[in-house]
Amino acid sequence: MIITRKALPRRTFLRGVGATLALPLLDAMVPAATAATKTAAAPVRRLGYVFMPMGCDLSRWTPPGADGRLGELSPILSSLAPVRDKVTVLSNLELRNAYPGSHATSNAAFLSCAKAKHTESSDYYLGTTADQLAARDIGRETPLPSLELAMDMLQTTGQCDNGYACVYQNNLSWSSPTTPLPAEAHPRLVFERLFGEGGTLAERRAALRKRASLLDWVAEDVASLKRQLGASDRARVDGYLDTIREVERRIQRAETATADQPLPDLDRPLGVPAAYAEHARLMFDLQVLAMQGDLTRVITFQLARETSNRTYPEIGVPDPHHPLSHHGNDPDKIARMAKINAFHVSLFAYFLERLKATPEGGGSLLDHSLLLYGSGIGNPNVHDHTNLPVIVAGGAAGGMKGGRHLRYDQPVPLANLHLTLMQKAGVNIDSFADSNGRITDLFTPLNV
Amino acid sequence: MSRLWFTPTSCALLAAALVPTASADGTALLRQYCVECHDAGTRKGGVLLEGADPRQAAADPAFWERVVRKLHHRQMPPVGEARPDEAGYHAVVAELTGVLDRAALAAPDPGRTDTLRRLNRTEYQNAIRDLLDLEIDATSLLPPDEPGHGFDTVAVGTLSPTLLERYVSAAQKVARLAVGTPGRGPGGDTFRVKPDVTQEEHVEGLPPGTRGGILIPYTFPRDGEYEIQVRLARDRNEQVEGLRAPHRVEILLDRAAVAEFTVRPPGPDKNAEAVDAHLRVRLAVPAGPRQVGVTFPKQPSALLETERQPYQARFNMHRHPRTAPAVYQVTITGPFGAGAAGDTPSRRRLFGAAPADGSEEVRARAVLGGVLRRAYRRPLTEDDLRRPLEFFRAGRAEGGGFEAGIEDALGAILVSPRFLLKVEAPPPGAAPGAVYRLDDHAVASRLAFFLWSSLPDEALLAAAERGDLRDPAGRAREVRRMLADPRARNLAENFAAQWLHVRKVEEATPDLRRYPDFDDNLRQAFRTETALFLGSLLREDRSVTALIDADYTFLDERLARHYGVPHVMGSQFRRVSFASEPERRRGGLLRHGSVLTATSYATRTSPVLRGHWVLANLLGAPPPPPPPDVPALDGAAIAATLPMRERLARHRENPACASCHDVMDPVGFALENFDAVGRWRTAEDHRPVDASGALPDGTRFEGVAGLERALLRRPELLAATVVEKLLVFALGRGLEPADAPAVRAIVRAAQREDFRFSALIHGLVESTPFQWRKVP
Repeated sequence: MIITRKALPRRTFLRGVGATLALPLLDAMVPAATAATKTAAAPVRRLGYVFMPMGCDLSRWTPPGADGRLGELSPILSSLAPVRDKVTVLSNLELRNAYPGSHATSNAAFLSCAKAKHTESSDYYLGTTADQLAARDIGRETPLPSLELAMDMLQTTGQCDNGYACVYQNNLSWSSPTTPLPAEAHPRLVFERLFGEGGTLAERRAALRKRASLLDWVAEDVASLKRQLGASDRARVDGYLDTIREVERRIQRAETATADQPLPDLDRPLGVPAAYAEHARLMFDLQVLAMQGDLTRVITFQLARETSNRTYPEIGVPDPHHPLSHHGNDPDKIARMAKINAFHVSLFAYFLERLKATPEGGGSLLDHSLLLYGSGIGNPNVHDHTNLPVIVAGGAAGGMKGGRHLRYDQPVPLANLHLTLMQKAGVNIDSFADSNGRITDLFTPLNV
Repeated sequence: MSRLWFTPTSCALLAAALVPTASADGTALLRQYCVECHDAGTRKGGVLLEGADPRQAAADPAFWERVVRKLHHRQMPPVGEARPDEAGYHAVVAELTGVLDRAALAAPDPGRTDTLRRLNRTEYQNAIRDLLDLEIDATSLLPPDEPGHGFDTVAVGTLSPTLLERYVSAAQKVARLAVGTPGRGPGGDTFRVKPDVTQEEHVEGLPPGTRGGILIPYTFPRDGEYEIQVRLARDRNEQVEGLRAPHRVEILLDRAAVAEFTVRPPGPDKNAEAVDAHLRVRLAVPAGPRQVGVTFPKQPSALLETERQPYQARFNMHRHPRTAPAVYQVTITGPFGAGAAGDTPSRRRLFGAAPADGSEEVRARAVLGGVLRRAYRRPLTEDDLRRPLEFFRAGRAEGGGFEAGIEDALGAILVSPRFLLKVEAPPPGAAPGAVYRLDDHAVASRLAFFLWSSLPDEALLAAAERGDLRDPAGRAREVRRMLADPRARNLAENFAAQWLHVRKVEEATPDLRRYPDFDDNLRQAFRTETALFLGSLLREDRSVTALIDADYTFLDERLARHYGVPHVMGSQFRRVSFASEPERRRGGLLRHGSVLTATSYATRTSPVLRGHWVLANLLGAPPPPPPPDVPALDGAAIAATLPMRERLARHRENPACASCHDVMDPVGFALENFDAVGRWRTAEDHRPVDASGALPDGTRFEGVAGLERALLRRPELLAATVVEKLLVFALGRGLEPADAPAVRAIVRAAQREDFRFSALIHGLVESTPFQWRKVP
């Protein structure tokens, strides 16, 4: 690429000033087209997707009240009270393409809304998922186009569910119909992807400066190389110099982000917390940091896998989740499953509260993000993919009205919601999977 | 390389069969056999031979080299048309190549090699190993390289921002590890076992009497306490797979057991989280490269009671469940507490060069000077030291002292374009298009990257400085030395894996229903077999013909069982000879599971891919790629129930397909006795296998043995192909018609030595394109 800007050589400043000084960002230093200038226009600039496995007890999920307001919260959603005005519950969304009903297709269709090719071999085929379409567009300006996270440390291959290959059940995100993106559950590995070694603000700045001075030297050395070469090779060297400038620009942006959004001291987590909730909160904390530092704008997170047999003794449910979800309408089993559902929602509520508490551009991180929480199954007892439990949160900066319960008479494709959220975040897209419209109600005031 | 193809459709009505040649005169032969189709009116394939004068071939080498190739491979005139006899072919080829080769000798054209080429991932890893005595896993530091002309040494001219960022990060990480400076708090690394690894047999390198697990070569960055934690593989329900009774788990450090545990099936609460939570040990480890092992002591197990033989692959709870637990990941974290940098090979290499006394500046000069000379692979100037020393001073001033300064300077050296790029700058003032001989150090670099995919070592640099590389005897001495060096296994493992597409095996995922015995163990065994086999050919300096007709190969128990070879026990690969039972022979590339699997689809063999593989990689006569509008076989309206041979026959009824598939398919048919994972078979879908085949020159034969004999009838074609592939790899560019005389010269010289590998390599090193360059 050719950068036709007249940016001051910032590193000449860097060398002159004291090591720990935060640098004022001079206008002349901002390159012609940076993330900052481009994205200021889109008030909602991030998308987050949180996947809850195996549906829930809808009788304890669906908010009471029929006036469209999110008044009294249902038992499963009660932990959302502190962020009630930031969330909208949507009822009667469905995933047609997840049929015939299965766990594999619940996970696979949640973000793709596509039909998974029924195979257990390597010729699997799904569809590009919403998050990855977004990553191609709004993910271009950040160091990581997207981040895929999960809670389960396992990797399976071959057949997993009803003749479906394990990839469908393992991976929420697909960057193409044949490219599943494995998610990471190890906090340290996630941290290192985002922040390297981490460190204090001063340490991170020092590290950036070190990289900048290394690049200085590369540029200098390349330029001296150029003098030894003939005309035809000089063009290639100019290409190298453009590359160096582009990397310098990225470092500058990282420095800018450090100045604008000073992240706290980043201490690398080493192990995996033994308690599920602690592990999940750590994963949510990492997402908050990634958003705050503008390291990525698209995140997917699988709270647990379909068919998970995780037990939750810490909330008084020592039974594995999957058998509980096939409760056979046993009220006791349903009650215990609902406890798990509520527990998962409470972790999401924690995430929302953290986002809400983090200021950004006159509002909070939450205001500038749209988050989708939900499952690919409605009633898990029968692998039903209608009446999905779905929550949308955040987005106030983009006109999203919270504190609502949108209840549809006729089933609406989940793809409509994906399309709406993508568009709101500035993704250039007209239709998605089996979408047949948009859910504009999210952004229109309540008429009651 | 420009592709050579004429459309071999029938154009003459003369009777088939060989017609005796009246004259060896090239012009007459062309007139007699070629101009009927390649006349001014017809111009078959766009080729005009009417009125062409072979004696003037030097005027248009690109055109005439195509003609030579077609004749040399006996692909023209097409089989079924009137063709010269062998003597006639010989004579016309000799006349043409005589003209072309004399012209090339008079005016050498070394072709265009890029001036600037970066180190690829393999070269980077090897360079760090040889520069700093430090083993790294470059796949975790750098993105993969795009292949060009089949090799990863070709498309290395450009530098993307992402790649540059990764080079910078890699340099910093490597510098830190080499010096052993403390990081910010403890670090960690996690190693995961691929999910389709069966862990029920012994893993080579782990103690006898154990099964499964993983052996991790790991460089501990500093002396200190480290924690090693193990997690077991789960099934889709998060239950530890195969855990039906208590099992013991061992952690080993350099083969000594440092911890032993027992894992038990979860209680009635089914809480699988707790099952392996205790598999962790914290211990003091001295810095440096070590082997961390995790494995399961074998316990007497009841025989599997199944009606049929149990599958060898066991990694999926539905299709072929594990019968015993397996390792999913091993995490090493540390160092905890303040330890010392320790005594590591990389520190010895770095600081060993420094005088014990003297100022820090003097010591830094010694340390960095040694690194720079090898990193830049040439004698140093004072200016080369200037900037690294600045980095040293700056790093030292930041508070980390001498070693922090060395780390920073080392990081700077590792991102310098003079390390990362292979630069072949023309002599000052040379005019574009001029041809010049490479200087001594450029030749040294070419040799090292060709034979070792790495930097020149001190001996090679010294040879360059002495001027030894200027004369053939000096070069030959160095090449002999380098081939005897263990680093030369690069040719067997790196070059050959690319040439023979063995790397493709890594992505091969045969259909689990049809090939339920396929797992990663078999995949790795395939790769090992081919690497060991090629290593033996090179080490023993055999003829390239042994690629085809060797009567031995290398097997471990798993692979032997797969091939149906009895009496091979254990996980260690050993040489197995078939000299006394040729009828069940393995050995020879065409019988390697790696090659046979890499040229198959997930559900079936592909005579097309196999035929193409033989033509492109052994015969040097690849057919052109299919036209863009041709449907795939499966998409075409041909019943999928027909045997493959009949389906392909229908396919060839389409003339557009036939022109190339008539050439490819019959070659692949000869290998039909091998299924899609390389097992011998005599029937496919209850029909007997028909393995009759043919070569493009019309030779007909039966089965793999017939194909092998046919290929060896003219070993010079095989030798030329090996030379061409070696040249692409060594030069980092595709070949051009102008390279053909060089290839012929190498093959001619090697013929006198029975086409031994060393003869090909020595010849290549002496060739025009290797020693000369054209100013771009």
